[in-house]
Amino acid sequence: MTTSPDVTKASEPAPSPRPTPAPTAPRRPRKTVRTASWYAVALLISSVMVLPLLWMLTIALKGQSAVFQVPPRLLPDEFHFENFIDGPKAIHFPRLLLNSLVITGLSVLGGVMTAMMTGYALARLRFPGRRLWFYVFVGSMMLPPVVGIIPLFQLFKDIGWYDTWLPLIVPAFLGGNPLFIFLARQYFLSVPHSIDEAAKVDGAGHIRIFFSVMLPITRPAWITMSILAFQFSWNDYLNPLIYLYSSEKWPLSVGMASFVSQFAGQTPDWNLYMAANLLYMLPPLAVFFVAQRYFIQGLSALGTVNQR
Amino acid sequence: MTATPHQQSNRPPHPPPNPAPHASPSWSARSPWRRRGKLGSDTRAAYAFMAPALIGFTVFVVYPLIRSVYFALTRYNGLTAPTFVGLDNFRRMFTTDPSFWPSVRATLLLVVLYVPASLVIGLALAVFCNRRIRGVRLLRTLVYLPVVLPVVATITLWKFVFNPQVGLANQVLTWLHLPTSEWLSGEGSALPSIVIVMLWSVGSTMIIFLAALQAVPTELYEAAKLDGAGSGTVFFRITLPLISPIMVLQVVLQLVTALQTFNQPKILSPDNIGGPGFSTRVLMLSIYNNGFPKLGQVADFGYASAQVWVLFLVIVVVIAATARFSSIWTYSDHVS
Repeated sequence: MTTSPDVTKASEPAPSPRPTPAPTAPRRPRKTVRTASWYAVALLISSVMVLPLLWMLTIALKGQSAVFQVPPRLLPDEFHFENFIDGPKAIHFPRLLLNSLVITGLSVLGGVMTAMMTGYALARLRFPGRRLWFYVFVGSMMLPPVVGIIPLFQLFKDIGWYDTWLPLIVPAFLGGNPLFIFLARQYFLSVPHSIDEAAKVDGAGHIRIFFSVMLPITRPAWITMSILAFQFSWNDYLNPLIYLYSSEKWPLSVGMASFVSQFAGQTPDWNLYMAANLLYMLPPLAVFFVAQRYFIQGLSALGTVNQR
Repeated sequence: MTATPHQQSNRPPHPPPNPAPHASPSWSARSPWRRRGKLGSDTRAAYAFMAPALIGFTVFVVYPLIRSVYFALTRYNGLTAPTFVGLDNFRRMFTTDPSFWPSVRATLLLVVLYVPASLVIGLALAVFCNRRIRGVRLLRTLVYLPVVLPVVATITLWKFVFNPQVGLANQVLTWLHLPTSEWLSGEGSALPSIVIVMLWSVGSTMIIFLAALQAVPTELYEAAKLDGAGSGTVFFRITLPLISPIMVLQVVLQLVTALQTFNQPKILSPDNIGGPGFSTRVLMLSIYNNGFPKLGQVADFGYASAQVWVLFLVIVVVIAATARFSSIWTYSDHVS
């Protein structure tokens, strides 16, 4: 299996210089069949993944009556591009988008900053108790967030933060995601010790080392974290649902979900909804395509959790 | 500690035990002795750097943990002061609440349907995508695509896919001349439908398995090929044992995720409280319904907290059982 690409590459453009063509000749048809069946299965898999999304796009372009045509038709007869204006209007999309951007932006900044600082301390400073704190932070990664929801709700309500964005933002600045602390520490461990030793010799303090030496070196780490943090916050549904009562403070996630459920039992304007929903999907999609390799890195880092 | 002259003479090529600061920074960084004088400043700096996370840990982890235990033993609506009722919430849960056991059943059913399926499909996709063939990167991207999209966006999309009259799901079944289903509005089919929605995001599992597969040394495959091993033998005797640590991690992650499923049943159930009937009212949703009820109803923080602890206990037991079970069959190279 692992040698197969070399065989195809070598045998197709230059079949003659091979000294022994005899063994490849009977193998070729079997290989072609295998490659063909691979593509057949690949096509099936990708259609399962993509078909719902394409269908969504066609609904977003359909007129009101065409959505409920029985039997449904895949392609719209006429294109209603105005859905992309009317749909967002129906749920005050611009306001929700702004809310989402502010909440997500601040919690990304806070989460990444705190995690990098904590990771720096845990990985690069010698002090009594650093193992203990590492285990404490990793341990809290295992603790299901559900345990905290009711006491935290009560706490935030008591200090007057109910129906504000603070419960969604402030915890990020206080090390809200232990996974990021873990990732930061792992990355800091891989930075050679000679670097900050050299900076120290030049007279730099910890703050200077952290900002001018470490942050530039660890760029891949905090980019990865920022992307993950963006994704978590942009997608978060339960927390804004619990803490935000006024609909004008909602982020897009709650707004989109309520757009569907306020019509519970009835029929929402699916064409308008799908148009707005596509716009809601765009920012994470854009981030994904720009920073694809960091996305994969961040996830694969999970796979190394128990290897160090 | 104090090096004797004999020891010193034994390692002439190494730097002297007390080097000048500029002599060899990388070596001295690892030596704790030289920096004893600086230890205090390092400690202070460390706690300064960790201060936000330490405050957060106290306020957002330790405090809620303790408070949650107390809440579980009280009757508390969030408005008037909590009254201590002992284990009454648990008695009510196990004996009189008609929705508790159905929600346990829904939770466990979801785990049983989702976790093995996501592992098997995720691994199968990873093996399938672990070939160097033209277009494989595109396929990986497409499989991973649903993971990137906002959960709420994909869930609401599936809500319409599962529409019995005009949804894509029944349309595809009709094209294939298969019997159609009532999907989310059927008491028997609602939970499996939710599992299908969750399985659509199998890409995250696939990516982690793919990373694990690519870490398997190719020499092992070549050696097995020389020995004439079939692909099945190679998979079960080489691949699977070598990725088993990742497998265990995945099992735990997926179990914990599945036990805490909330978004899908909340948004997909027709009544948003886990219907029809109790079919999709998983424990998380039950906790939410009790703690944060619809407008006009009074919250039941005490009872919801008690349910939180039941869920927490289930999670702990499941993780412990997995860890114990996994140590039996996980391949480990510690012996070598």
